[in-house]
Amino acid sequence: MRVLTALSLLALAGLLALGVSGVFPRPELPSADEVAAEWGAENVVAAIILGVRLWDTLFEILVYAMTIVGVKLGLRLLRWERPLPPVAETPLLRRSADLLLGPVVVFALYVAVSGHLGPGGGFPAGAILGTALLLLALAKGVERLSAEIHEPALEWAEYGAIVAILALAGGLLLLGRRGSGYLVAANVLIALEVAIGAWVVLHRFASSRGEV
Amino acid sequence: MAVILLSALTLALAVFALTQRRLLWGVIGVGAHSLALAGVYLFLAAPDVALTQAAVGFGLVTFIYLLALRRTGKLTVVAAETPPLLHQDGEHVAGLEWEILSRLGRQLHRDVEVLWVTRAEIPRLLRAGEADVGAGGYLPRTDDGVVLSRPLIPTRIVAVRCGPGPCGAVAGDRCQDCLPASSVTYEDHRELASALRSGEIGEAVADLLHVRQWVLSGEVQPSETKDGGEAAFRFAVAPGEEDVRQALDALLAELERSGELARLIARYIG
Repeated sequence: MRVLTALSLLALAGLLALGVSGVFPRPELPSADEVAAEWGAENVVAAIILGVRLWDTLFEILVYAMTIVGVKLGLRLLRWERPLPPVAETPLLRRSADLLLGPVVVFALYVAVSGHLGPGGGFPAGAILGTALLLLALAKGVERLSAEIHEPALEWAEYGAIVAILALAGGLLLLGRRGSGYLVAANVLIALEVAIGAWVVLHRFASSRGEV
Repeated sequence: MAVILLSALTLALAVFALTQRRLLWGVIGVGAHSLALAGVYLFLAAPDVALTQAAVGFGLVTFIYLLALRRTGKLTVVAAETPPLLHQDGEHVAGLEWEILSRLGRQLHRDVEVLWVTRAEIPRLLRAGEADVGAGGYLPRTDDGVVLSRPLIPTRIVAVRCGPGPCGAVAGDRCQDCLPASSVTYEDHRELASALRSGEIGEAVADLLHVRQWVLSGEVQPSETKDGGEAAFRFAVAPGEEDVRQALDALLAELERSGELARLIARYIG
């Protein structure tokens, strides 16, 4: 077993070294400005999103939504009646959560809004927002947070976001609209959907502990 | 260059995470590994992927592991079953030491899980990192190689003689040190008592708590008792778990100060 582990580690290290060594040729790329001009977009990132990545994201969102529905249905079948022990509050965690929550949410919004022009986009923004929610859950306890943020409304917001994303992305792809305002709206909706989905999955797992 | 350095760091952190015995350190290792991987992506000119890797791998996954750890982290106790101190009562564990251990578990946010083993196995399991705390009337020996808590209950080592024959004790127990060279060891106190009753051995060395139990239940009628010196029951803690020992000592000191320990002793031992 040890020999196997050592061998696979060596193989991994070799792969990494090969990857960064420049042995593999890089494909010739067209100039960035040409691509942007071809799509009539602000820059090459927006052009790539319009041309390729939007399809990608569309199916990502569909898979993600299906996963969440699966978790909800699957965990509903497993009953849990044992009440959860309340999580003790630690002052250190609560203070740091208070301090970090604002910056994290603002950064998530920035990543979502600027996602069509640079690195970022809806999915990472949603993951960052989800992290902010998890931070709150760690500081306050999952059940208390769930009661505070009114989960059923949240779930309806999520369904609404999925429908809006599908409509928006489908419209963009079929009609070929090239306004970046649509991309910003799509990214914000995607961020919302991913964040709520992360929260729902976490809550279901946390409240059915040990019974799976 | 930065890519090669960060790749090496990624590998090193993965190995670090795999080799950690404490789950918390393992989770921290996995988080740091994700962050280093995000750095690799960044320097390979993929800031988009780096951002997602940092948000999902370092943020979400680490937080979910932390939350799970906080809810399900276990405090594993290995113990020899010792009736008034720590024993199985139907489906539950009961006893004086259980009262203290369950309080410790609540304080550390960890569920206490008790595994029944023989006395001789306790130090080995603790040293191997298979368990966190050793209990069940633990009388420390010098060469056990474990960390010890404050004394819990003072007791005495007693040799009881019932008839002719060799001397016996429980293997691995402190009392084994008091035995002469040609003597017999048994796996637990129940076997020792039955050997003494059947006349297999003539003399047994044990702690006062067990001897008192044997005499009170009429299992053993000693003709002569000999005092073997003072000792105290303690908890044994795995060598790497300094924070568990500190929490345990603080709890014991607090129980002693508030008189709760005396109440527990009066209730369980009398």
